[in-house]
Amino acid sequence: MMQKMISKDKISKFISVLQKEYKIFGPVREKGDIVFKEVQSADEMDLDYLNSKIPPKSVLFPMVDTLFSYKKDGEKVEIIENKPYNKVVIFGIRPCDAQSFYLLHNFFNFGKFKDPNFLDRLLNTVLIGIGCLNPRNTCFCTSVNGGPFNSEHVDILLTKFKENYFIASSTDDGDVILKKMDFLSDAKDSDVKEIEEMQKKVESSIKIIEDLEDLHKILDNMYEDPLWEECALGCLGCGTCSYLCPTCHCFDVVDENKPDGSGRRVRIWDTCQFPLFTLETSGHNPRTNKIQRARQRIYHKFNYYPKNYNLIGCVGCGRCILYCPVSNDVRETFSKIKKAPSKTEG
Amino acid sequence: MSDLESSIRETAKNLLTEGKVDLILGYEKGALPLRAAPCFITDPTDVDRLVFDYSCDLNLAKFLREHPEKKLGIISKGCVGRGVIHLVVENQLNKENITIIGIPCQGVINRSRVIRKIGEREILEVKVENDKLLVKGKDFEESLPLDDYINNLCKTCHYKSPPVADITVGEATASSLQDNFEDITSFESKTPGEKMEYFKDELNRCIRCYACREACPVCYCSLCFIDQNKPVWFGKTADITDNFIFHMIRALHVAGRCVSCGACSSVCPMGIDLNLLNRKVEQIVKERYNFESGISLETPPPMGAHKFEDGQEFMIEED
Repeated sequence: MMQKMISKDKISKFISVLQKEYKIFGPVREKGDIVFKEVQSADEMDLDYLNSKIPPKSVLFPMVDTLFSYKKDGEKVEIIENKPYNKVVIFGIRPCDAQSFYLLHNFFNFGKFKDPNFLDRLLNTVLIGIGCLNPRNTCFCTSVNGGPFNSEHVDILLTKFKENYFIASSTDDGDVILKKMDFLSDAKDSDVKEIEEMQKKVESSIKIIEDLEDLHKILDNMYEDPLWEECALGCLGCGTCSYLCPTCHCFDVVDENKPDGSGRRVRIWDTCQFPLFTLETSGHNPRTNKIQRARQRIYHKFNYYPKNYNLIGCVGCGRCILYCPVSNDVRETFSKIKKAPSKTEG
Repeated sequence: MSDLESSIRETAKNLLTEGKVDLILGYEKGALPLRAAPCFITDPTDVDRLVFDYSCDLNLAKFLREHPEKKLGIISKGCVGRGVIHLVVENQLNKENITIIGIPCQGVINRSRVIRKIGEREILEVKVENDKLLVKGKDFEESLPLDDYINNLCKTCHYKSPPVADITVGEATASSLQDNFEDITSFESKTPGEKMEYFKDELNRCIRCYACREACPVCYCSLCFIDQNKPVWFGKTADITDNFIFHMIRALHVAGRCVSCGACSSVCPMGIDLNLLNRKVEQIVKERYNFESGISLETPPPMGAHKFEDGQEFMIEED
């Protein structure tokens, strides 16, 4: 694994070398929000950002994803398959969002049902992360096995340091890329030491939420707790928390048929917060009210995920807290769960 | 705590203690600056949670239908009160169970506009001092002209206090404002191409989370047209054409019903401004039917009533 330095003004060169092989997705500011979009040059990116509003899961799991399209000519039906995926670099992804790809991978690769769209894209994607120098107050990555400079789920991690970036690879893919960049300079030991100290300082500034890994045990005994009613009282039942969540992955599949006989099958985001999500063809709906739906979201991430994959289904990015229209705070839900009287029963 | 807030708390406490209501619906401080959360109070000792300031942008009338069995007191700025009244007129609520606690509103802050201005810096504290909005973060402090960040809808609002209230707290403000729909006139002077560009720009960002619909006091259909799937009526993707259809039809569905609270735009996680659409519909309803929603318990909404003198110039007459 390599450790190098790259001066800020060489980032555009770095990107243009990558572009020979990869499509580049990077953080772009649009109408005041950061979104991960395909870029043609480094100038389009804003690298001094906190984090994107829509998580970069949208690159691998787009909001609208055509599975295939078709054309009909008389009796003949022609199915048009998707083109093979391009090799992609997601540049500037935050370590929390990179961790979400690892979680999503568990879901899309579960058992005998493999999701070709997601998995092919993931296989063709290189993640070049940038460490968080300014974590938000709403961030809690260090409580869910992550960290502002966690390199576990990226191929390369950059850390801004004075007029340079400290650049370190953590996978073979990352090594191969760094070896191609002949304009990187060596990282001095003294600098590396200073950088590591700075990283530790930033990391320790993030507030720890205790015992999140044990939450699933508490939740085992409080499915019927009145707490869920309290949590759902002010909830609007919209999709903001799940659509902007980097680990939420539920989808719907719809067919679009045009009068000329052409059409497509398309996958779109869906969420457990909508009543239609669980409505069965029979007319039965196992989750008819928002109490059940609000509970589902917490159980999925903090009980079912730990049980199915031995992982917490949350990366602590804080987007659900930041963007909830009624200012619901999942951290408050955690403390309510820990204080709930029914947690010791059963 | 402002004088208004202490009066709100006092009133809420009395209503709960005297058993006149089971539940007070109001606003409390949210988890972040510029955020207010809906607050449900049943215990008189909890009334100190109640707040009212520039961040209270939700329309609380939205929550009333979820508590049909309770006697409710609702802290109502003008548009919340209008929401309640309109829902009563549409037979969605039993007015006997609801106490409208009218309060005067100074308008709400457009959060998206503030965030856009501050950019990628975390806002840790927001204060209003006279005509300034003070926004603080870790390494910055900005003083912005408050008026530039007040919701456009609040600027044309002439019902700062609810037109009908059971109890009035604070000084009810009657506005002499003449709303000439200047915002609409100026938008309509644009070319069709420019108008299209504007709506494309806004609606392109829609992620179909339906926060706008869920926050709307008058969007209460048990099955929304967009959720009709046997058969499918409209596309549900976040492609621009599907987004256009959804927002245009939703605007038409709230014609003569929208109470101009702007909650749909305030809650939008993508900061999409839907107000122009709703304002245009409001203007048409006002001009055609001389009707404003939620200002009287007697007048039926124009789309829910038939009058022989209703204009029907669009009908084709046969010779």
